[in-house]
Amino acid sequence: MKNKIAIVSLLLLMTLLYACAGTTSLPRTHPELLSQSPNCTECHTDSWGALNHRAPDFMSKHRFYAASTRQTCNSCHHESFCTDCHANKEDIKPSDKFSDAPERSLPHRGDYMTQHRIDGKVNPVSCVKCHGRTNNVRCASCHK
Amino acid sequence: MKFTYTNKSCLVLGAGAAVLASTLLWSTPLIASDYSFSGESNTIFRMRTSITDKTISPAYEYLRLTMTDKLSNGSGVAFHLGAWGRADLGDKPDDHGTNGNLQYAYLTYQAAKNNSVFTIGRQFISEGVAAERIDGVYLRNDFKYGIGVSAFAGSSVTTEALANPKYQGGDLIYGSRISQSDKQMYSIGLSALKSESTTTRNYREEEGLDLWLRPHQQVDINGRSTYNSITNGWMENSYAISYAPTSTLSLGADFSHVNFKDYLFNVTTPALSVNNPLWSYNNKQTAYGAGASYSASKNLTVAADYKFYRYDQSGDASYFGAKASYKLPDNLLAGGGIHRMNGDVDKLRYTEYRAFIAKKINQADLTLDAINVNYDKNINGISNSYVVTGAAGYEFNPKLKVRGDLQYSKSPDFDNEVRALVMATYTFDTKFAAEGGTKSEK
Repeated sequence: MKNKIAIVSLLLLMTLLYACAGTTSLPRTHPELLSQSPNCTECHTDSWGALNHRAPDFMSKHRFYAASTRQTCNSCHHESFCTDCHANKEDIKPSDKFSDAPERSLPHRGDYMTQHRIDGKVNPVSCVKCHGRTNNVRCASCHK
Repeated sequence: MKFTYTNKSCLVLGAGAAVLASTLLWSTPLIASDYSFSGESNTIFRMRTSITDKTISPAYEYLRLTMTDKLSNGSGVAFHLGAWGRADLGDKPDDHGTNGNLQYAYLTYQAAKNNSVFTIGRQFISEGVAAERIDGVYLRNDFKYGIGVSAFAGSSVTTEALANPKYQGGDLIYGSRISQSDKQMYSIGLSALKSESTTTRNYREEEGLDLWLRPHQQVDINGRSTYNSITNGWMENSYAISYAPTSTLSLGADFSHVNFKDYLFNVTTPALSVNNPLWSYNNKQTAYGAGASYSASKNLTVAADYKFYRYDQSGDASYFGAKASYKLPDNLLAGGGIHRMNGDVDKLRYTEYRAFIAKKINQADLTLDAINVNYDKNINGISNSYVVTGAAGYEFNPKLKVRGDLQYSKSPDFDNEVRALVMATYTFDTKFAAEGGTKSEK
């Protein structure tokens, strides 16, 4: 009985909070046309300024932003942009697909066949993020 | 129940997507003005030699489609689809001769108020502790006092189903994230996910705390802690801070600590599992580092970084270096860098060099990129490995671009390897700049 009261109370509270929220949704498309690697601080003085793509650590930190405010990413990027690197199955590594974009931080540039033996043995954690649960067909072709 | 994608089913899906795209493309004049339909087709031919001396020459088609319907009340519905297929024109790299994948296909609704989102289909979930591709549903909503709630449920997408149930990825996955934020100052989130399989109800059970603090306009702090409730241990603690005292200078530092037994628990790749004898079950990895970037002029940026790693079984290692880039917009891009890995063990002692230049001449662009790694101790009798890539592209019009590249490499595995790739990119969009800045598939 107490559980039912708690659940009903929680639902009522959430309904009340929902009814009173009244926020406007983020635009589905960024209102201004942006160039590649925008510096968000040029216009935004609030927290959106932190998404400055030209910051040297943006690539290493973008996972934090994606995990907390994915909708913001979606206002400029289609799903395909993320899938270029975060694929669930892929034959061609991103740096081969975009060899005309040397400035992009794409994984596995150069001779990664040799490098993966070093990374895989000393730092498997870096592999798991992308290959631990998906995109592991090529791993499994040798590592049964 | 999990559906396993065979090559045949992937090919059928890819063909279906192509037929759908063609139908929609040709019918676009009939579509009402509130609709927009955009997409991108990448047709790729590659050529390389495999490690077993086979000549591999596959042809690929990557197709990305987006259809959106902007409703009059400010809400919107969109359908996104991405898939690829491969046919081998030369020797077969595997037993199949064809391959393919449905990368994503989902229908999503976003309300005009409260950031309400409902999505159904194959999608990538990125919510706190969850970074999963699922076939399922996702919903989120904002509430009063900066509270946001999201939830998802479905089946994990795994592409290499192994016989051992331990590596099959579970059958059902669900989770949620609740956050509280002040858009000027901070966002803090609590999240959890659970995965069940036919053999166990506790395949994965993880909880996470994520935070984003912006105490000052020039300071940005992000971090995440994740906990494995099955192994009863912290999987990862990872935090980073940035400070930009001026518009030309940026400083940053980060820290992370990972416990293998908790982090590598029930992954679907045996080589990365805690059961792999390559590393000890109780191994830990700690890393911390710092970096600085300075824009010496509007065109020139220099950066330096340092990272210290502590591995239980490979000792300590420092990775440090510097890089620079020079850019003239729509004309020239040049850059290079040098990094050194200096570790306690032989395999963690090497030096990386990189230089690249890209030049745009009217509708054509040329790129040259070279990467060299010198190993302190030879690998297979080879002291260094290098890859040189030359690429050339031509934009026939804003919708059609063709590019080709040639790659030459020498490595511990290949004496002289040549790879080639030709890619034709065709984009289509029925409504340019309909809502301000259009999104492209790039």
